[in-house]
Amino acid sequence: MTSVSADQVLATLTGVFREVFDEEDLVLTRETTADDIEEWDSLNQIKLIIGCEKAFDIRLKPRDINGLQNVGEMVDHLIRYFDG
Amino acid sequence: MTAKARKSPPKEDVSSQLGGADLLSRPVEEITRIAKRLNKDKAALAAAGPAIKVTVLSSFLTDYLAEMLPLMFARRGLAATITTGEYGALVPALLDKKRPLFTETPDFLIVLPSHRDLAHLPAPGCDAKAAQEAVQKEVATWTDLWAHLPCPTVQLSFDPPLLRPQGDQEGLAPGGLVRHVRRVNMELADKAPPQVTLVDCEHLVQRLGQEKWHDPRLYHMCKQPFSFAALPELADSLAAAVSACAGHGRKVLVLDLDNTLWGGVVGDVGLEGLELGPETPEGEAFTAFQQYVAALNRRGVILAVCSKNSEKMARLPFQEHSGMVLDESHIACFIANFEDKASNLVTIAKELNLGLDAMVLADDSPVERAWVREQLPQVLVLELPEEPAEFPRAIDAAKAFPSGRLTSEDLERAASYQARAETQAAMGRASDMDAFLAGLEPEVTIEPVGPGSLDRIVQLIAKTNQFKLNPTVFSADEISKRPEHVIALRLRDRLQDYGIVSVAVLDPGDEALAIENWVMSCRVFSRRLEYVMRHLISERARELGAERLCLVYRGSDRNGLLAGLLPELGFASGGESGEEATWHGPAEAPEDMSEHHMTIIRS
Repeated sequence: MTSVSADQVLATLTGVFREVFDEEDLVLTRETTADDIEEWDSLNQIKLIIGCEKAFDIRLKPRDINGLQNVGEMVDHLIRYFDG
Repeated sequence: MTAKARKSPPKEDVSSQLGGADLLSRPVEEITRIAKRLNKDKAALAAAGPAIKVTVLSSFLTDYLAEMLPLMFARRGLAATITTGEYGALVPALLDKKRPLFTETPDFLIVLPSHRDLAHLPAPGCDAKAAQEAVQKEVATWTDLWAHLPCPTVQLSFDPPLLRPQGDQEGLAPGGLVRHVRRVNMELADKAPPQVTLVDCEHLVQRLGQEKWHDPRLYHMCKQPFSFAALPELADSLAAAVSACAGHGRKVLVLDLDNTLWGGVVGDVGLEGLELGPETPEGEAFTAFQQYVAALNRRGVILAVCSKNSEKMARLPFQEHSGMVLDESHIACFIANFEDKASNLVTIAKELNLGLDAMVLADDSPVERAWVREQLPQVLVLELPEEPAEFPRAIDAAKAFPSGRLTSEDLERAASYQARAETQAAMGRASDMDAFLAGLEPEVTIEPVGPGSLDRIVQLIAKTNQFKLNPTVFSADEISKRPEHVIALRLRDRLQDYGIVSVAVLDPGDEALAIENWVMSCRVFSRRLEYVMRHLISERARELGAERLCLVYRGSDRNGLLAGLLPELGFASGGESGEEATWHGPAEAPEDMSEHHMTIIRS
């Protein structure tokens, strides 16, 4: 598999967030947490997981995702699916 | 298009917020986003139509469904407010008398069980008798619960389970769970009282495919027992069922002719050149489409024709082409001319005495469709595919004519509208209205309240929009508890039996006899049936010793004609016109009321 940069992952992830929260100018940084986005609750978390699976064409383990602290950790987790 | 072609001033146009005709074929993420946006825009939501309060009760998580429901209701002309019960609290919620479920009773309940709620499973390998007992017990639980329902209810039937540990025996052997689910669903449908309408979950699962319907991981994550992909069709089916029960189902299918009912343009290629009938695959597809349309007509959908043609050319295939399934007697209103389609649709609505929001247009021309959508947003314009073989499926999938249970009036409605077109033509000709009405030999039967009439009485009050005093509706229970205060009238004449077409619900008070509500079907307007009812109400008042009558009239954009009619019936308003006001009148009917020419039969 071709390697994917952290920036590319962040860009795709931003697209997923924008769709789930219906905010077209939402900006994600590595430091963004659930506290920064008002509607980021457990129900939208599930939409985010399923949105990521579609956008990256991967299958995630909800438990792995739910333990992550911020968007940066999410990017680092996602990028592992594309390593070598 | 001139302004006068619009029947009523256009409402704020929310159609741009509702996702367009092909919404349900789009990805669920997109539909969710449109729903989310609409939920935030309270003004657009309110502009969708009459407000309706809906409570969703379920044994599973319904938050995602509740997020999507208002969009599906808005697409059917209802501004829905959705509240959800605690999940898992389905049965207690209905039974707990101490902690009432509602501070305010909703207009409708949506009840969503899943096969995980089944409480009386047949043992694997059991015999047919034991399996049947399990079904009976299961159904008895529900008939008991249904007795506690506070309002009309739409319930999803049970979903067939995905897993089949017993293999094919799951669906076939008495001890199979799939078979149990099927039997329970059928039995529930047989036993459901008038206030309960079931939505067929087995159909929804088949339509999407079982593999796509179920998402076990999602169930374990959040207790929603179906996938996200299942949400749009499920939400739309529930909204369709509620809208049908609330009297918001559409009633008329308006058909274009050239390249819609047959292949080719009759004015260009003549009768012989049309593609219609078994000679060619295309011709056969058009015949199949007509068969589907005829099936809609048999279950009560009214048919109309709206075609850019000379009337003579347009009628020719109906009269002479061997491949036609439909003939002129199926069509309640036939308009063929060269005026624009939007104006013609307004004419059809007027002729049938129905609102534009009762109409559905099937037309192969994208230009005509766009024009009508723009001019008359209340009309549902179907997105017909290019391939005629796909026409029936496109109409079917739109669930344009949702129905609760069919009553005998539904089944006779289309025929009734067809006869009405003839009556109206005759009325247009008759110079002496009294002689004409008497010549129809009308008979009114006062129908007793009972199993044969109860469904229809409840339905007529709920569904009538024009001749209706106020929005008060009654459950079957409320009506059957006070049969002596309900007057239900059936009208028959030498042309046909119209069924029960007018109901008044009375409430004797100390001062005056109150008319709680009074409705009459628009099919029998101008027949003077309201005068018969007025006399019967007077009669009831005399029996009760009441000297005065009173009623509450609340004007809406649909029942305005009553404000003009009530004075003629001897009532005077106590308040401002247009608002909710109490009207009073003497018990006796006015002496100058016209003769009704009807024979009254007391059963």
